Amino acid sequence: MNTNKKNRLWWTLTILVLLGVVAGLWAATNRIDYTWRWNRVPQYFVYNNEDIKKITFDGTVSKIERNGNKTTVTVQGDDDTIGTFIVDTKNLNLNVDDYLMEDDVVGSTSELKAGPLSVGLWVTIWISAVASVIGLVIGVITGLCRVSQNLTLRQLSITYIEIIRGTPLLVQLFIFYFFLGTVLDIGREASGICALGIFAGAYVAEIIRAGIQSIPKGQMEAARSLGMNVPQAMVYIILPQAFKRTLPPLAGQFISLIKDSSLVSVIAITDLTKSGREVITSTFAVFEIWFVVAFLYLILTFSLSQVVSWVERRLAVSD
Amino acid sequence: MIKTVDLEKVYNGRGQEVRAVDGITTHIKEGEVVVVIGPSGSGKSTYLRCLNGLETLTGGHVHVDGIDLADRKTDMNKVRREVGMVFQQFNLFPHKTVLENLVLAQTKVRKRKKKEAEKKGRELLKKVGISDKEANYPSQLSGGQQQRVAIARALAMDPKVMLFDEPTSALDPEMVGEVLEVMKQLAREGMTMVVVTHEMGFAREVADRVLFIDYGKLIEEGTPEHFFTEPKEERAKMFLRQVL
Repeated sequence: MNTNKKNRLWWTLTILVLLGVVAGLWAATNRIDYTWRWNRVPQYFVYNNEDIKKITFDGTVSKIERNGNKTTVTVQGDDDTIGTFIVDTKNLNLNVDDYLMEDDVVGSTSELKAGPLSVGLWVTIWISAVASVIGLVIGVITGLCRVSQNLTLRQLSITYIEIIRGTPLLVQLFIFYFFLGTVLDIGREASGICALGIFAGAYVAEIIRAGIQSIPKGQMEAARSLGMNVPQAMVYIILPQAFKRTLPPLAGQFISLIKDSSLVSVIAITDLTKSGREVITSTFAVFEIWFVVAFLYLILTFSLSQVVSWVERRLAVSD
Repeated sequence: MIKTVDLEKVYNGRGQEVRAVDGITTHIKEGEVVVVIGPSGSGKSTYLRCLNGLETLTGGHVHVDGIDLADRKTDMNKVRREVGMVFQQFNLFPHKTVLENLVLAQTKVRKRKKKEAEKKGRELLKKVGISDKEANYPSQLSGGQQQRVAIARALAMDPKVMLFDEPTSALDPEMVGEVLEVMKQLAREGMTMVVVTHEMGFAREVADRVLFIDYGKLIEEGTPEHFFTEPKEERAKMFLRQVL
């Protein structure tokens, strides 16, 4: 049996096992008599926002100007008021000189709007992105302090790392929001982002430190013996190599950050998780929404890990 | 060119005092090729590393071109750019191509234009005989080729002195020759060189002077003829019996 055929058998087995798990879940939910309403989910991503325009006085239609999809309707009121309405052409059912009474419908406009799940997804994306950048900057600086010759810098960075790593993120979020948010008068988004960034920074710092220390001492010696000073050697020689080595753990850290960002929902930031909870209160589609929310997080983290492995392959040319 | 006076380097490891370099005084003149030999652990590498400040001295003085390295006000980076160093483990920058390895310090330290630095780099690669590899990464080169790139990288800074720290010890035997050949050529061109090596043939052929170091002390120094044929000190005789 050649390896190709053998592999195909194992592939089939993997798929069968996964299908078995899904079938088991399906059977289990059947027993508890849950009605799946997947059709309710899409409207929470994007929905058609219909705005019906009603007239607030009695009057006659004096002018109808068609302008592509939109039409401007001008109504001359009995008491000399003039009203203009912009409505969608396709739903317009009026002619010039039609008489309209108060509360009659002139027309309507409709536009596609992002639903709460889309908005929440976007909030999660940008909060994670900004927190990642903050975390990376803090992490690199702290990592460098951690390997510095200066004792104070070393002690300060260790203190920071130990405090942040030793307390739960949830508690840090509350402290940032209730204490620092009040004292420094910053908003909930800013508190949430800072807490996430500072949290990630402590872990990034340790990853960067390990990366720097994993570079052979000879590299620094070679750079120094060519006359470079320490910052030059760090920037051109040590950090690029350290960054390449630490890419996999850094990716893991930022994937964690995306997932940890779900905790900001406790300080009332409407991220993906909180949006999901809000949608559930109006649909009761508990199972569906949580599955969808999980799937959306999975898309984010999977995309990130794909990007990182692409960068890793790019950097591997010098190996 | 390089003068060491009572040079001393003492480590304190686990409460034990190790006198790696213990009072070495010598004067290396311009254009001289000095080979440092001695048993392993004798302190010869540490001595060499003191010459460009990679090790901080614990006593004595090193004068490079008239500048005292023991003086706290000395700008080490300025001294080091005049002193090239070649390491046992090559220490090429693995994330940079061969040419970039040669160009980087020229542009960042010597502030040369990139074009000028690349021209200089290519000339030196030609000199060490690997001009066809300039776009390769160090990992794609053999040990001997890597060491020749390392020599070219040090030369790109136009150093006044070249230090070699066992440049052939990490090489496969068949590659030792090509590296020694480059070093001999350098010596012929009048470069001031300090070479720590176990290559007795090289010492005999190229050296103007041999320093024999053991237990951090300069035991014997003299011309190769003198050292290899009629050493005075018992320890030097013993060492030569073992290696020859």
